[in-house]
Amino acid sequence: MVEEVRDKARELLSAGTVECVIGYERATDGITARPLFAYSPEEADRFILDRTCVHNLARYLLDRKGKPTAVVVKPCDSRTINLLVHENQIERDKVFAIGVTCPGVVEAHWGETTEGLQSRCGSCPLEVPVVYDHLITVPGERQPRTGFPELEKLEAMSPQERLEFWQQQFQRCIRCYACRQVCPGCYCPICFVDQLDPMWVGIKIAPPENQVWHLIRAFHLAGRCIECGECQRVCPVNIPLMLLNQKLTAEVEGMFDFRPGLDAETLPPFATFRKEELEAER
Amino acid sequence: MDMNGGPRIVGFLCNWCSYAGADMAGTSRMSYPPNIRIIRVPCSGRVDPLLVVKSFQQGADGVLVAGCHPGDCHYTEGNYYARRRFALLRPLLDFVGIEQERLRLEWVSASEGRKFSRAVASFQEELERLGPRGHRG
Repeated sequence: MVEEVRDKARELLSAGTVECVIGYERATDGITARPLFAYSPEEADRFILDRTCVHNLARYLLDRKGKPTAVVVKPCDSRTINLLVHENQIERDKVFAIGVTCPGVVEAHWGETTEGLQSRCGSCPLEVPVVYDHLITVPGERQPRTGFPELEKLEAMSPQERLEFWQQQFQRCIRCYACRQVCPGCYCPICFVDQLDPMWVGIKIAPPENQVWHLIRAFHLAGRCIECGECQRVCPVNIPLMLLNQKLTAEVEGMFDFRPGLDAETLPPFATFRKEELEAER
Repeated sequence: MDMNGGPRIVGFLCNWCSYAGADMAGTSRMSYPPNIRIIRVPCSGRVDPLLVVKSFQQGADGVLVAGCHPGDCHYTEGNYYARRRFALLRPLLDFVGIEQERLRLEWVSASEGRKFSRAVASFQEELERLGPRGHRG
């Protein structure tokens, strides 16, 4: 299956269909993966594909607007393409999606990987990418679905316990905004948190300010988060950011029966409404 | 905050209905708790969740958003969008330990001074029952 990726990349690059193929190569620690941008057929030999390929490469499409680009996408990453096409950020015909089926990915940090899968893979609804131009089947048993176990644990707590839990998480935040930079849904030219007048979020790195950041970051992704888990992966202080996203994902699915990125046509929940709804939730 | 002065409420009232409704309560000499600080906004659909989260960060015990009744919005449909937004913001607030009862959405028309004063009074009672926020922020 690795050969299939390399062959397809070589074919696309030598035919001139795309200028660049974005995929994975082995990082210099010899264990984990890192993104590879291949511009020539020779570079295609370096592509790899395994369970350490955790990154959402479709995010890079935002930096290659208007340029024909091929990208290797797992099912979760493929939802990015639908999201960005729907939001008029990228053109579908400029993207060649090399879809790979996914039995789940492991936690990968520099120099080490886990045996077990990432927890977000347990709530993933997909095995096959929702959008692709060429599909590569990766052998491997899919793990059973686990739903959102951590979410349920937190929901069972009292508000006071939840408050303490999140205070502990938010007080570690150094507001490096890596979660924003890596997120395929966070592409505003000026983020609310960078605005100086009015200054919505103070520059003080303290739990109250951090909480405003995290709540609004999560809320801006409500009905848009495609659950790639990149925010949580890049967090240098290991804040379980996906819990906030998953909470909203679960609520959006419950209220509006909507899961973002599964197609590029359905209107997201905040772009529409029904006159008769939600009077009880108010 | 301390509860000596009672809970502190921030109220975002839409210019066309609820702000006029509050005005009606005033001109009709109906009393309502003085704990509410009213901010006039063009439409309930203008109320960005950021304003709500920011209010809580600055020490509000409760946030009241009031707008025109469904179907009566001055901008036709702003309140429908607001309704969806706050229906989703409340569980998120609850999830991080800000009880969802602390955010209220009310429909108050320009003639409903009585409804406005009752809404603020019942909101205040609820906030007193909940007690002060566990942690500012």
